[in-house]
Amino acid sequence: MPEFDTDSKLAQEYKYGFYTDIEQETIPKGLSEDVVRIISAKKEEPEWMLEWRLKAYRRWLKMSEPRWAYLDYPKIDYQDIHYFSAPKKQEEGQEMDPELLKTFERLGIPMNEREALSGVAMDVVFDSVSVGTTHTELLEKEGIIFCSISEAIQKHPDLVKQYLGTVVPPSDNFFAALNSAVFTDGSFCFIPKGVRCPMELSTYFRINAADTGQFERTLIVCEDDAYCSYLEGCTAPARDNNQLHAAVVEIVALNNAEVKYSTVQNWYAGDENGKGGIYNFVTKRGHCRGHHSKISWTQVEVGAAITWKYPSVVMEGDYSSGEFYSVALTNKKMQADTGTKMIHVGKNTSSTIVSKGISADQSSNNYRGLVQVNPGADNARNHSACDSLLIGRECSANTFPYIESENASAVLAHEATTSSISEEQLFYLRSRGIAEEDAASLVVRGFCKDVFKQLPLEFSVEAIKLLEIKLEGSIG
Amino acid sequence: MPTLALPPAVEPAILPGFDENVLDAALKGEPALLQAKRTAAYEAYTTIQNPEAFHEEYRRMDPRKFKFGSFTRLDIPHQTIAYNAQPVDGHYDVVISVTPEGIAIEDRGDVTASGKVRVQTLQQAALDYTTEVEQALGTAIESEEPRKFFELNSAFWNVGFHIHVAKNATLERGILLRYHNDREGSALLPRLLVTAESGAAFALAEQFTSPDGVATLCISAREFHLAPNADVKLVSLQDWGSAGIHIGEDWARIKRDAKVDLFSMTLGGKVSKMTVGCDVCEPNANAYLGGLFFANGKQHFDQKTLQFHSAPNTYSNMLYKGAVKDTGYSVYQGIIRALKNCVGVDSYQTNNNLVLDPGARADSLPGLIIDADELACSHGATMGNLDPEQMYYLRSRGIPESEARRMLVLGFFEEVIERVPFETMRDRLHEVIEQKLNPVTEK
Repeated sequence: MPEFDTDSKLAQEYKYGFYTDIEQETIPKGLSEDVVRIISAKKEEPEWMLEWRLKAYRRWLKMSEPRWAYLDYPKIDYQDIHYFSAPKKQEEGQEMDPELLKTFERLGIPMNEREALSGVAMDVVFDSVSVGTTHTELLEKEGIIFCSISEAIQKHPDLVKQYLGTVVPPSDNFFAALNSAVFTDGSFCFIPKGVRCPMELSTYFRINAADTGQFERTLIVCEDDAYCSYLEGCTAPARDNNQLHAAVVEIVALNNAEVKYSTVQNWYAGDENGKGGIYNFVTKRGHCRGHHSKISWTQVEVGAAITWKYPSVVMEGDYSSGEFYSVALTNKKMQADTGTKMIHVGKNTSSTIVSKGISADQSSNNYRGLVQVNPGADNARNHSACDSLLIGRECSANTFPYIESENASAVLAHEATTSSISEEQLFYLRSRGIAEEDAASLVVRGFCKDVFKQLPLEFSVEAIKLLEIKLEGSIG
Repeated sequence: MPTLALPPAVEPAILPGFDENVLDAALKGEPALLQAKRTAAYEAYTTIQNPEAFHEEYRRMDPRKFKFGSFTRLDIPHQTIAYNAQPVDGHYDVVISVTPEGIAIEDRGDVTASGKVRVQTLQQAALDYTTEVEQALGTAIESEEPRKFFELNSAFWNVGFHIHVAKNATLERGILLRYHNDREGSALLPRLLVTAESGAAFALAEQFTSPDGVATLCISAREFHLAPNADVKLVSLQDWGSAGIHIGEDWARIKRDAKVDLFSMTLGGKVSKMTVGCDVCEPNANAYLGGLFFANGKQHFDQKTLQFHSAPNTYSNMLYKGAVKDTGYSVYQGIIRALKNCVGVDSYQTNNNLVLDPGARADSLPGLIIDADELACSHGATMGNLDPEQMYYLRSRGIPESEARRMLVLGFFEEVIERVPFETMRDRLHEVIEQKLNPVTEK
């Protein structure tokens, strides 16, 4: 593994900035129908999947990149990206490449099941492929399918066919179409009827190779009365050029099902001059298809140079509900345009939005959220609270909610505040002998509390630490 | 970075009915200063794209509803016509009345003679006070991007007034501007320039009326310049008949220690697009924006507010209350904008909506664009029907359902109405709201 100067300032701020030097198999840069065919062939996909990809690709050619978000970035050259890169395959029966194992140890992810956190099943995606999934046998006993999406396409084609693209169709938007054409890996979770998933399911995304794009595709299906909690984490090496991560995540919840989806997104965000970093253009959507179903998004966004992400819930089933809890932190020259969409279709549906934006240094942090009540959505309820915290004179925080009500029985409330850490709060803490930096950090932690308490315990602790590291030097 | 304004046009963008020939007619006989201003505004107007339904600001108000091309710009004669007194006029110091036949300015309280106030047509003001008009006309907007309809009005306005209130002058009863248009297929483009010197305090009311069923278009623009310590209240009541189309742009610049109250009441007409912007541009300037809208039948109202903070330690507060009934559709969009280094800003934005019937629709898009820290900006928006518990409370005391509804809706709006400075305006608002709640069915 090449040396990554662990004493550098950057390394202290972003300890995941190293890269792994292993033999990678990468296809040449560029995007064409042939590239789509190559990706499909590498994944040994059936014919129908290739057709699906090609259809999406042809659709994508006719679409244009959305530019309505409050973001400022140069034009992306889609021909200057490697669409597939994977560590060279090992011979059958051989252990995982020791370099890879080392990498994951450094990232804090034990790939060895004996050492793994007992309560968490892991799928790990390295550039374009899944390199391993843990605890699959234990889950199989319950009838749960947890594997990479490539594996699912081969082993469970009927299930994939039934659900893939039904929540986020390939024609949904520019990045979804691109993803549908060239997606490489991601997770597939299927929780059968009546099963409560006994452990947290988790996927770790790692970008390693240079000039590659990562196109994650995740599909989670919870049948009637099923439950699962899914966690996602991401990191990438510190590089001077921008890399694209365009993911699509689809969640389907049938009658009485519940899905909890948590993200701790810590992509490399670029240096203090705004050089480098990941473009995180993500389409995440859940579909409460059955009655009394529930989908909950929790996200902690602390990385990526540009974030364009709106995890949504379509509440079609009666009595279904959607939740969105978010902490989005931007510092240095980061830009984020993130929020949610709550679409009320069925009767007696309810949704909650809690968004906490923190902007520091010269960053720009935007909340953009839609609450839509369709004419048939009787008794829809929504409460949205969006708070922004400004740290530093050169940052900006913007809030753009869209509230649309076409039903007289809907009750919707939205509130938003923008402010800085108040002198009074700091004074109160300082007068009790708490150092200024700690006091500011305490206030920030309190500001995010409503969201952090939604995270599973280990993640919650991690998220707080992450936030503190990111804000070091910005406060106090 | 994308903004809400219309993008610049590649080729000259001209709306039907507002082209060079019409501009020539508007320029005829005008003082040189106004000719120059109109020509410059026309240039600006053609360099901004025509609004289309895919532009962010017009996504919820298809510009085709404005029916450009089916209206002709009125040629309002400059001469004064006989003043036609109305009962409410007794409540005002000065009454300005505009009809397609001409204009009348009536000073009932001798305030113009005493030198406190000047009320003139813009043409006259441009001759008498050229420098003042040159500096003020069309400049209240300078902190925002150019706006299509403001520029359109600046080029084509067919009736304009300049109201100037002298230093430390106070008006006891205020000024009323009455617009009445009964000509089918005509376009009225009123322009108002208000300059308040330091310490001036007064209130101004504006009312638009037309007979039901007569199709008229109105593109109005008002601008207000408040010198330090001025205190100005303005109420605009859009009370067009059933076939009126209204586009309005209000802009105010508020200097140190000055205070403005801008009320925009949208009740009449078929389609209305109202924009109210204020720029609190010096420390301790304060703006209050009040709004009321009630769309019933097939009415479609869109209101936009902009609270612009271009100086530190400035204040603004906004309260817009709306109701929709039948298949009415209302849109509220608003922005609080705090520029870089504008610390100490305190700004609030509230939008409450009542959706009274299935089939009615209300959209609310409050927004914050904040580029400074050490400030407090917030907004709140609610949407819902009448509170069933409140209904129950009233019903259980023997109040019939329709009466209980009336009381609750009036109570909902009262928060805005009670701040309106004119009793006659408050009465008219109550009257229209009641009519909308219980329309008299035609026999």
